Amino acid sequence: MTAEISRRVTLAWIAAASSSALATAGCESATPPAPPSVPPAAAPISLWQDLTLSPVQAPGYGHDPNLNKPVVPWPLTLDPQQREKLRIAADLMLPADAHSPSGGTLHLDAFVDEWVSAPYPQQQADRLLILSGLQWLDAESMHRFGLGFAQASDAQRRAIFDSVAFRKNVQPGTGRAAQFFARLRGLMLSGFYSLPEGIADIGYMGNKPSLGLYPGPTEEALAHLNASLTKLGLKTV
Amino acid sequence: MPQHKAARQRGAPFEPDVVIVGSGAGGGMAAYVLTRAGVKTLILEAGRDYDPATDSAMLKWNHEAPLRGAPTPDKDFGYYDATVNGGWSVPGEPYTSAPGSTFRWWRSRMLGGRTNHWGRHVPRFGPYDFKPHTRDGLGMDWPLSYEDMAPYYDRTERLVGVIGTNSGLENHPDSSPGVLLPSPKPRATELMIKAAANDLGIPCVPSRYAVLSRALPHPHAPREACFNASSCGRGCGIGAAFQTTTSLLPMAMGTGKLRITTNATVSRVVTDERGRAKGVEYFDKDGASHFVRARVVVLAASACDTAKILLNSRDGGLANSSGEVGRNLLDTTGTNITGHIPALENRPRYNEDGMDVAHVYIPFWLYKEQAAGKLDFPRGYHYELGGRFGMPGAGLPFGGMEDGYGLSLKEDARRYYGAQLSYTVRGEMIPNKDSFCELDPEVKDKYGMAVLRFHWKWSSHEIRQIAHGIKSAREMIHRLGGTVTTPELPPERAISDGGFIIHELGTTRMGDKPGNSVTDSFGKSWDIDNLVIADGSVFTSNAHKNPTLTILALAWRSMDHLVGRMRKGEV
Repeated sequence: MTAEISRRVTLAWIAAASSSALATAGCESATPPAPPSVPPAAAPISLWQDLTLSPVQAPGYGHDPNLNKPVVPWPLTLDPQQREKLRIAADLMLPADAHSPSGGTLHLDAFVDEWVSAPYPQQQADRLLILSGLQWLDAESMHRFGLGFAQASDAQRRAIFDSVAFRKNVQPGTGRAAQFFARLRGLMLSGFYSLPEGIADIGYMGNKPSLGLYPGPTEEALAHLNASLTKLGLKTV
Repeated sequence: MPQHKAARQRGAPFEPDVVIVGSGAGGGMAAYVLTRAGVKTLILEAGRDYDPATDSAMLKWNHEAPLRGAPTPDKDFGYYDATVNGGWSVPGEPYTSAPGSTFRWWRSRMLGGRTNHWGRHVPRFGPYDFKPHTRDGLGMDWPLSYEDMAPYYDRTERLVGVIGTNSGLENHPDSSPGVLLPSPKPRATELMIKAAANDLGIPCVPSRYAVLSRALPHPHAPREACFNASSCGRGCGIGAAFQTTTSLLPMAMGTGKLRITTNATVSRVVTDERGRAKGVEYFDKDGASHFVRARVVVLAASACDTAKILLNSRDGGLANSSGEVGRNLLDTTGTNITGHIPALENRPRYNEDGMDVAHVYIPFWLYKEQAAGKLDFPRGYHYELGGRFGMPGAGLPFGGMEDGYGLSLKEDARRYYGAQLSYTVRGEMIPNKDSFCELDPEVKDKYGMAVLRFHWKWSSHEIRQIAHGIKSAREMIHRLGGTVTTPELPPERAISDGGFIIHELGTTRMGDKPGNSVTDSFGKSWDIDNLVIADGSVFTSNAHKNPTLTILALAWRSMDHLVGRMRKGEV
């Protein structure tokens, strides 16, 4: 499937949805004729389209930044709609529970914005994937429910996530979308668990200076270790 | 070529007896030994001044840094890494790789050089390591033996401060009694690694690191004991993790015999009409050229930069009658095998920072089998071990086990955090004719000097060794009921790129005669009596044991010898 076709498909659906003509129509009903160079009956039609983005031109922090007064020198670049979709996705990705607040509450949309707005090669590659993915969420939502991702219900959004979120259950033809989802998940996990609330949830207890020789595991940790070693048929400590 | 200007210091003119190029391990030790002997010494350092007490970011959290501290081309090892104006690239100072070669060259441009962020892992070379050709017919023997080095290892370890335990293992020499500092207790993950290794007949012993477990007082360079927090790679503001900026350099300054000029990039050694060194030329940060005269020139710019200076000093290279300058370029082999261990899931939390470094390691254990011809590779390797509740940041701390989204993803995060182990192979490379550096015929740096062009090839020795290292690590992970999470690659793809382990050595190797080497066993150039090399470029071989301790001990030995020659009026 070429990007050109997906783009046309997407635009067609969005146009149809905005005129309320599309309800539960399948792909074919809204698909314009394929260009002659593409064989007919290709793989299932993907709604994914890689965006064409101009590179971020902002400066990086350089080879000798002040490590004790860190600043992010590049401007954030996402628009309010992209930020809103990210905030919604963050709440679904990492919802509030007894241990920590939700990803949206902890402003993971701002972290992802900082990430994809950075001028470095990895971040620029992620920018293409993430921004294309945010558009795909809308296209998919429009296709399935006639609503943009931000307008859909949580149940509808979960139905979209379910098609790409689980390694063993990625729907055929959604390879790039699954890649987007895994990357977004990775970014959000990093962003979330490096914050004080995430650190408290996950139980990192370090970065606290202490005097004297490091004492090793607690009694509880040793007991757990020895139980594990016993199960493995290994000598306990 | 810009006009030479006399180098100026504030106050009285300073006319050094010895000029040292570089302030890292070799240069720092050279300055320490020379100034203690009363020798007026000048260090020229290419980078800026640096003080970890104010410049390092100890105890800062990753969420305070851009991109949660992620590595970027500006800061290749992450935002908080101590390296200043360096990494895999240095602005204005490129290098090239010959077609078909890949070589990566880590540099820093700061006082103290790479000692500010290095791994601090300091195993000793053993008796076999100095006589490799005698043992297996490959490479070349050093012109010195372990017995020559042992006293210098002892005194270097005392000066530097090394945690560790004498384990009495073959070719892993013990230190003299009272030299080593107490070791921290192993983490739960390390105890698990040890249990599986020992069960398979593999030793796992307390590791040796240049980190203090008790304070080391000194009037000019007091150093505190490790406070069990913060990554050593950020630089150690309390002086616990060894770096020259908190130890050898202030000690040498305290003698009143040392001057340091920073932002001084040495371009060449200048010789007189008799071919003796009369000083060095350097560029300041504005690009102006200066000349410093000295009785003796000590090069300690790092293996590749020392070779670059010699090759740029005259056509065909200075001190190069052997043709060996730039040849025999070595690195350490590397690969990493990680495993997910179900037995570590959801384990009880406690503070696993410890001394940041690994508290145990796996030394090479198959010398007898190797001598009996039972292995298909020569020389050794060791494993540096990882796995802990580390500080979360931009890297995923869940070993790729996380899946899905929602409340179950949060459960995944708790379950898989701290449930991975890593086995990092570090092995010996044998010098080969295809791995060397030379001047690039076209590319120049910002000072107009020819840059280095690297040629690189691993031989089948290294490939087979890596294959063995991968196999043994997989066995240890499987013994723990774990699954290997590192993609299975053939060893020629799993092995690191040349230079990637940042152990460049060998480019001006020492030997027993002028024809096969650049220096004698004291780092003295065979060709130029008053030129001494005191960094890793003099290594004749690169045992799998991390090189910095040996760089320090060799520099001490070479400077003792130089002081003796200076006192006798030989130079």
